[in-house]
Amino acid sequence: MVLVAPRPLFRPAPPGDATADRGTGAEVLALLRGDAAARPRFDPGLAGGLRAWLEDAAYDVVAARGEHAPPLFLGPRQLLSPHDEQGGPGHDWVAGDRGDRSAGAATDHRGDGATDRVLLSRLVQALFRQLVHTGEVHDPLADALEALRATGDEATVRRAESLPEGARAVLAETLAVHARNLSGLVPRFAPGWMARTNDRVAIPLGGGRIVLHGMFDLVVGLPQPRTASLCAVGLSSDGPWAVARRSLHYLSLLETLRSGTPPFRLALLESASGRYGVEDVREEHLRAIASHIAAWLERASAGPTNAHG
Amino acid sequence: MHMDNRLMDALVEPVSAVDPASWRAALDEAKSKLAGLAVRRAGATRFRVTDHEVRTAFRSDTDDAVHDDPFAWTALTARRPIGVAAVRLLVAGAARSPLEAVRSRLAESGRWVRDGSSSASQLDRWVESLSPAGRAAVGAEAVTWATRLWCALDWSMFAVPPVVGRDHWWDSPHSALLALRGRADVRTADAHLVVLSGPRRGSVRAELALVTLVESLRLRGDDRPGRVVGWWPDSGHLVRVEPEPAALTLGAEAVELAIGGAGTPLRSAA
Repeated sequence: MVLVAPRPLFRPAPPGDATADRGTGAEVLALLRGDAAARPRFDPGLAGGLRAWLEDAAYDVVAARGEHAPPLFLGPRQLLSPHDEQGGPGHDWVAGDRGDRSAGAATDHRGDGATDRVLLSRLVQALFRQLVHTGEVHDPLADALEALRATGDEATVRRAESLPEGARAVLAETLAVHARNLSGLVPRFAPGWMARTNDRVAIPLGGGRIVLHGMFDLVVGLPQPRTASLCAVGLSSDGPWAVARRSLHYLSLLETLRSGTPPFRLALLESASGRYGVEDVREEHLRAIASHIAAWLERASAGPTNAHG
Repeated sequence: MHMDNRLMDALVEPVSAVDPASWRAALDEAKSKLAGLAVRRAGATRFRVTDHEVRTAFRSDTDDAVHDDPFAWTALTARRPIGVAAVRLLVAGAARSPLEAVRSRLAESGRWVRDGSSSASQLDRWVESLSPAGRAAVGAEAVTWATRLWCALDWSMFAVPPVVGRDHWWDSPHSALLALRGRADVRTADAHLVVLSGPRRGSVRAELALVTLVESLRLRGDDRPGRVVGWWPDSGHLVRVEPEPAALTLGAEAVELAIGGAGTPLRSAA
């Protein structure tokens, strides 16, 4: 657990040792608040420079695929997968996913393990939103299913409800552990923090032929022009931690492209263990992730599937 | 998401001048086209042209994500009506944060339904039918929608408080069967802001031109409506449709296409 690199702000609890009574939510809140007078000001030209870099890389992909190819939606799953370290387009890169967690059918082709992880992830995500907005969870599995039903994610609800009794009991127990950890981890935000969950970001490149997208699990803070004033909180239900951390950097890049400034601070909460970490966003994070995406796009433009839409 | 200077500029900048004769001619032509469409639809069922119909009419067979599922209330479909109600409370100073405003609106749903109020809508009844966890999910979605809009604008810059979330209808004087809806989320003295979702699409200018058309038809004489500004919170991208003759033409053509695409054989019926 090294999210707090390069400058640790807080040492996380040992794995499996963080529980609700440790008051970690208050600690996370204090760390997110930080010193309001020391909010970083980013170079106003940073966003333009990063965009130009990505636009150059996107141009080659658009040229290779043809101008009339359908838009290419790229999210963290495509761009940051640990199984795709080469960064090139896999067999499903064209299909993409739009970061919509309600698209339950999108993962039906996966193996049981992956499907179970996706199912758990969606349930945990629902509980996280509930905790942020109400501060309480009563029956984790029932609450999560009710929340998903209200969001129209019937596929996930059906998947959970069709599990054999034993598997469902295991799911309920697992989810209860996540809920207990989250109850301790999730800060109680005053309304003035403007906490909003599932804040989607979509950045078109190449005239909209390529769309970089993602979703902040939670954003807090009041926006201020030219000053990084927002905090982003990510939720990881099953890791890997490094990938979740990188996803936050990726989202910070998208926020920079959207608004001109990144969030100034990130927190990552791991619901399975109760661990968390907090770090400042730095320009080198943004440049590193932009470099990764540019390299990915360069490989994609040269790859065998680049002409397919 | 941030207080968006470009968005504010788009809402407060004065619209450019247009030759009055050109405007009047385009408006007359649009009215004539709509009258013809209304007559052609005589005997048909009532047809309401909204941004949804325009978007659907422009969609090609090759577009992905084509879903024609019947409408159902979900957190996603409810976020805008609850969100605009929340922003309205914020503008009026009746709530201090989007979270408080959304909670207030959801509580209102419960009161109206329990009291049998005539104000209770289908949405209110659906919200009240949900479990607390379901309502929390609906509220969370609406809070995000409302916060993005609330934080994107400098509300103090408007001399008159904007009207939030009021759709405008135009009913054809030639047929009770044809009506047009112009949807805007924030209306100021000089502009109409439409919060957009989904991917950028070829139909968006036509969707926004429908707002221009409806506003123009509702105004008396040859007055021009304000600019229509489409805004994607996901990307911060803006689309501006100026109140120019071309916008009226585009809006009327969009209506024609929407009605044609709704199953009425325009040419044979004419």
